[in-house]
Amino acid sequence: MRRMFAIIERDLRKFLRNPLVMAVSIVMPIIYLLILGNSFLGELKNLPIAVIDRDGGVYAERVLKNLEAIERGPSTIAIYRVSSEGEAMRGLKEGVFKAVVILPQGFSKHLVKRGRTEVGLFIDNSDVVSANTLRTALLSALGSVERDFIAVRERTHGVRVRTVEVHPKIDYDQTLIPGVVIMAIFLGALTTGVFNIVMDRFLGTDESILLTPLTKTDIVGGLVVSGLIITTLLALVVLGLSSLISGIYLWKTLTLGGFIGVVFIVMLSTLSLQGLLFIILGRADHPRVVGVLGGFLNVILFFPSGAVYPVESFPYLLRLFAWVNPETYSVHALKTVLFKGAGLNAIKGDILFLAVFALVSIAIATLTFKREL
Amino acid sequence: MGDVAAIETESLVKRFGHIEALRGVDLRVEQGEFFGLLGPNGAGKTTLIRILATLLRPTTGKALVCGHDVVRECTEVRHLIGVVPQAMTCDLDLTARENLDIYGRFYGLPKKERTEQIDYLLGMIGLEERAESLVATYSGGMRRRLEVARALIHRPALLILDEPTLGLDPQSRYVVWKLLEKLKERYSLTILLTTHYMEEAEALCSRVAIIDHGNIIAVDTVEGLKKSVPERDRVELTIDSPPDADPVQAVKTLKEVKTAELKEGVLTLTVENSQRELPLIFEALRKKDVKIKEAKSTHLTLEDVFIHYTGRPVRDEARKVSFFIGAGVPRKWGR
Repeated sequence: MRRMFAIIERDLRKFLRNPLVMAVSIVMPIIYLLILGNSFLGELKNLPIAVIDRDGGVYAERVLKNLEAIERGPSTIAIYRVSSEGEAMRGLKEGVFKAVVILPQGFSKHLVKRGRTEVGLFIDNSDVVSANTLRTALLSALGSVERDFIAVRERTHGVRVRTVEVHPKIDYDQTLIPGVVIMAIFLGALTTGVFNIVMDRFLGTDESILLTPLTKTDIVGGLVVSGLIITTLLALVVLGLSSLISGIYLWKTLTLGGFIGVVFIVMLSTLSLQGLLFIILGRADHPRVVGVLGGFLNVILFFPSGAVYPVESFPYLLRLFAWVNPETYSVHALKTVLFKGAGLNAIKGDILFLAVFALVSIAIATLTFKREL
Repeated sequence: MGDVAAIETESLVKRFGHIEALRGVDLRVEQGEFFGLLGPNGAGKTTLIRILATLLRPTTGKALVCGHDVVRECTEVRHLIGVVPQAMTCDLDLTARENLDIYGRFYGLPKKERTEQIDYLLGMIGLEERAESLVATYSGGMRRRLEVARALIHRPALLILDEPTLGLDPQSRYVVWKLLEKLKERYSLTILLTTHYMEEAEALCSRVAIIDHGNIIAVDTVEGLKKSVPERDRVELTIDSPPDADPVQAVKTLKEVKTAELKEGVLTLTVENSQRELPLIFEALRKKDVKIKEAKSTHLTLEDVFIHYTGRPVRDEARKVSFFIGAGVPRKWGR
């Protein structure tokens, strides 16, 4: 055990002598939060649409007013009144507009006489996400026009939905916080633990370690523990900073039990990723290998974790991968504790999975560690 | 320990794929010896050392360090040896004291013993005043001295040095030599040194083995090795000879002169011992009125012995490279 402490101390001292690595490990996940949180806010904004009113009637005017209300309110669209269809279609083709809405001549007349009419919607379907959002926006603008023609007596059969949000309102950038913390954990685990072995091999300093009576357990255990200390502290700093940036005041929202729960989840997540990375990179001898595989692993573990998209909506095979991905359980546990204020009972499955994963992966990493050159 | 050898190997073989780095090495180094292992680059010196240091497993054969098998009793062997590897392996972002302290803890040394030993070693290598500086700020020679100190932190019985002065400037090399001489004088350590600097082995080692193509091809004292070589010291004399004198015949009458040849006014001789025999040669030539304008003598060196046994001086060593360097390139293409 005394020898393992020497490995831990060596690693911690070396890490502290590289403040740049420390700073980068904190700043990078936060930049991710700022970029992703601001560029993809959950709801799309300011999608430019061209509107051509060939009707000029009262209901066409009403549709336009509804669209303008959407523009002023949730800002999903930005309306450009265009007189020429040719100009509008050219703009659509060149990407100036995401859609062209044409209210045809006789729109209002047909609506009054026949009770139904058509609106032309030319849409840039190369951007599926924007196309779906625009279709929904237009339907909502038309929907309220249609309702004017439903007989009063028929309204009694209508179903009204009243939405009740069970948790305090959470903005999109706030929902990214568990993902940001997981990313900080991944980066911490990647730049500590097994990375030290790879660097020692690359620099040739591993020889001096292998010459000593240190056992495999001393070496792997020492590096995992030092990585655990560093990564946990970094992840908690990232959690604190990203919460402040996104407007969550943890000292108000998190109980002491919740905070202990968060620390515990961070530690188990770190151990799981340390073990996994040790197995995958344990025999690499060039930092470039860590760079290449690290970037790849970050993507394939992070995106199917539920940090940015619900796991339930994944295709079957991706869902299978998510079930064995430790980051899935880390994200779920963190979301549950941070946003729902739930107790241990709600995350016991996550804790159990992460604990077993960490134990098994570190055991495999230790057994497969090469104690010779 | 009695008559237990510091190092003993029997038919030691090490193969890396199709390359046979050691081909049945038999070697015995007695306790207290300063033993040199000479060989061209790629001869198998580092492989042999790495097996003795428990860093590599032999393919077949046996290696014992102070009577302990390097495979079955590797932990005991690791406590008995101190190794200065070829590469500089001290942590650059730690100070000299931290390097020594952490290494001492790897061996489980108690704090008090560790502190005393660190102070003593820092004094011995002359780095007390720079003990708290980061190793990154050290010169190559200082780092090498620190490596030696680190290898001695747990008071090993056998110190192994793999090319300890490789890449050092002459001044730093001299400082390391002095340090090793000091160690030799003060301790009953057994020292095994690999080098391809002949003057290093000549200056430091009591016995030398020459290794080539994975085989030990000669083992003896430096003098013994020199005697085993037919070549002798070489003397070159630029002379001014009267027309009737025969300088070649004049010196050939001396039994110490093995060969003599006159070419363009330069008389070239091979002799047993140039220092001892030069006055006799001068006297023989003087008697024939031969004037000596310039005299040059070259001693038989270990380098000559080395070339005699290996047939060449130094060649590039095939280093084990990262799996990922040249991955996918067929081995026959030279990966």
